[in-house]
Amino acid sequence: MTTIALNVNRHAVELPAEPRTSLADFVRDRLDLTGTHLGCEHGVCGACTVLLDGVPARACITYALACEGADITTIEGLDEDEITTELRAAFTREHALQCGYCTPGMLVSARDLVLRLPDADERRIRVGLSGNLCRCTGYVGIVRAVQSVIEARRARSVAPLADSGRTSLGPAGSGRAASGRSEPSPARQAPVPASERAAAVSIPDFTPATVLDQRFTLPHPPAKVFAMFGDIAGIAACLPGVSLTSPPGPDRVEGSIRVRLGPIAASFEGAARVERDPATLSGRIVGIGTDERSHSATQGEIRYRLLPLEGGAATAVELSIGYTLTGLLAQVGRPGLVRDLAKRLVVEFAGNLDRHMSGAPSGQVAAAELSFWSIVSDVLRARIARILGRRSGAG
Amino acid sequence: MKPAPFSYERPRDLDAALSMLAASGGSAKIIAGGQSLGPMLNLRLVQPELIVDITGLAELKRAEVSGGELVLGALVTHADIEDGRTADVTRGAMRGVAANIAYRAVRNRGTIGGSLSHADPAADWVSALAALGARVTLRSLAGARTLAIEAFVIGALESALHAGEIVEAIHVPARPASAHWGYAKSCRKTGEFAHAIGAVLIDPAAASARVVIGAIDTAPIVVTDAAGLFGGKIATDYKQRFDTRVADALLAKAGIDDAAQRHIHVSVLKRAVEEAAA
Repeated sequence: MTTIALNVNRHAVELPAEPRTSLADFVRDRLDLTGTHLGCEHGVCGACTVLLDGVPARACITYALACEGADITTIEGLDEDEITTELRAAFTREHALQCGYCTPGMLVSARDLVLRLPDADERRIRVGLSGNLCRCTGYVGIVRAVQSVIEARRARSVAPLADSGRTSLGPAGSGRAASGRSEPSPARQAPVPASERAAAVSIPDFTPATVLDQRFTLPHPPAKVFAMFGDIAGIAACLPGVSLTSPPGPDRVEGSIRVRLGPIAASFEGAARVERDPATLSGRIVGIGTDERSHSATQGEIRYRLLPLEGGAATAVELSIGYTLTGLLAQVGRPGLVRDLAKRLVVEFAGNLDRHMSGAPSGQVAAAELSFWSIVSDVLRARIARILGRRSGAG
Repeated sequence: MKPAPFSYERPRDLDAALSMLAASGGSAKIIAGGQSLGPMLNLRLVQPELIVDITGLAELKRAEVSGGELVLGALVTHADIEDGRTADVTRGAMRGVAANIAYRAVRNRGTIGGSLSHADPAADWVSALAALGARVTLRSLAGARTLAIEAFVIGALESALHAGEIVEAIHVPARPASAHWGYAKSCRKTGEFAHAIGAVLIDPAAASARVVIGAIDTAPIVVTDAAGLFGGKIATDYKQRFDTRVADALLAKAGIDDAAQRHIHVSVLKRAVEEAAA
């Protein structure tokens, strides 16, 4: 807990809060100013929009601690505000609300538009309100209400203030805090290593949600490649990001795969079952794993088939990679990125295999591990993009 | 939808911030406006042990024209640029881009340095600044280095930032009086991440053009010598000479297998070219 001092609706407030407390939770839970609504809690819906140093900001993705010394105005603080008073009358007149959930945020954004827009251009108003979602879809009334207030004010020769009167640079709400630190947060409970549980877990067959077919060639005879595919530890070393947690058995292996994407890191720990058919030079690796931090789980399988090329001097490796992801990380996903990932993954894997079979020093294999992270990152990134894909380039 | 607990530090200056970052051994995350990191924290996709809030650092809030280029501190917000609180050497190009990033409430806190650091391929500055020929200065305790934007963004959410390094400033060259600017994007809903971005800086007088095809799920395609997109030479009739087949081939080469996706990207790029010529 850290003491946060800021001004809310022109009253100085000083209260303890955790660093992770959003400004919205701070005003709602600590100050009982429940007019600020929470919808999506990740900056998309606009229900939590408040004025921060006089300009609109998302209270759900702005942490209270980051607003030290700032002026916050919630919907409760706009009772006497001239523009908001006019907007309330217009919202009533135009039937611009139904359930009212979006209304506080809508009024804060509408007030900003009334202040800044030169005229009541419908398109500009609609664009300006695009960050406030109305679940009753009552946009027509809302737009009419905002239009009418702008028209009335411009008719009274109230000039627009395009920059909201702001003069300083940098994020709204910043700049008035002294340097300092919060007390360290309590140590997190270390998760039980998945390897301890993995031993008992059976690995079921499954139908992958996504299947990607890839093919590459290796300048080695099929029999040699097939033998290599039977060397679990060797294959694991060629799959960058993979590490084994115990010596592999002939048909079962336990380990983990680490992936990192920008600030996102996941480590899936689990086990895999290995099947091989020497008669057809084919095989299958089926695995399951969980990432404790994100409470996500994955099932994956790699099916391979080896075909002779160049009279048996080289091998075509046909891979079919399938997986299913569940949990938090599964909320995001774009197939284009995954295909791109799989291509790059297979290129890396093939390169590592070739180096390994040609007796290249292990350093080269280790170097490839880093680039694998970037590859798997793309998959995760795809997922993130879909969750966060409702706002452009926010920074 | 609440973040996992984290510790929080507000450094007094940039050196203190860099020291905190270096001392954390990778468990710290810089936050500026928090408009990209905030959602990730709330969704618990990111769970840093320490958040270093740099929004108090005045040295990152500068905006000045120096040596014919605009130098923007990392903490300059999209709204700062939109409203003209910063000088403009791009004759409105940057203001236009800034004004259409996400929503006003996001632009009031979201920063140009934060957006670049996040390195989302669908972000506007990643493409727009590459087309404008901008560079970015990165600073760590070891010193500073400057990279072209196209060298800074290396993949989806992946930048050239090393551990312990932060974006300090963005350098934007002045747009020549003869250079035309066009910027177009396709979003399913206004303010959402773009599904396609086209950005062009075409100077018929100098027979040069920079063309960017962005929001392609990885680092944007940046063509610094774009004559090939205009039948081999860049002249005043570049709009007529724009060759959609070359653009399509560029996208195919970048691994965009879906013809419909390529069509969207090519159409958006065409719109940017038309805007430049208008």
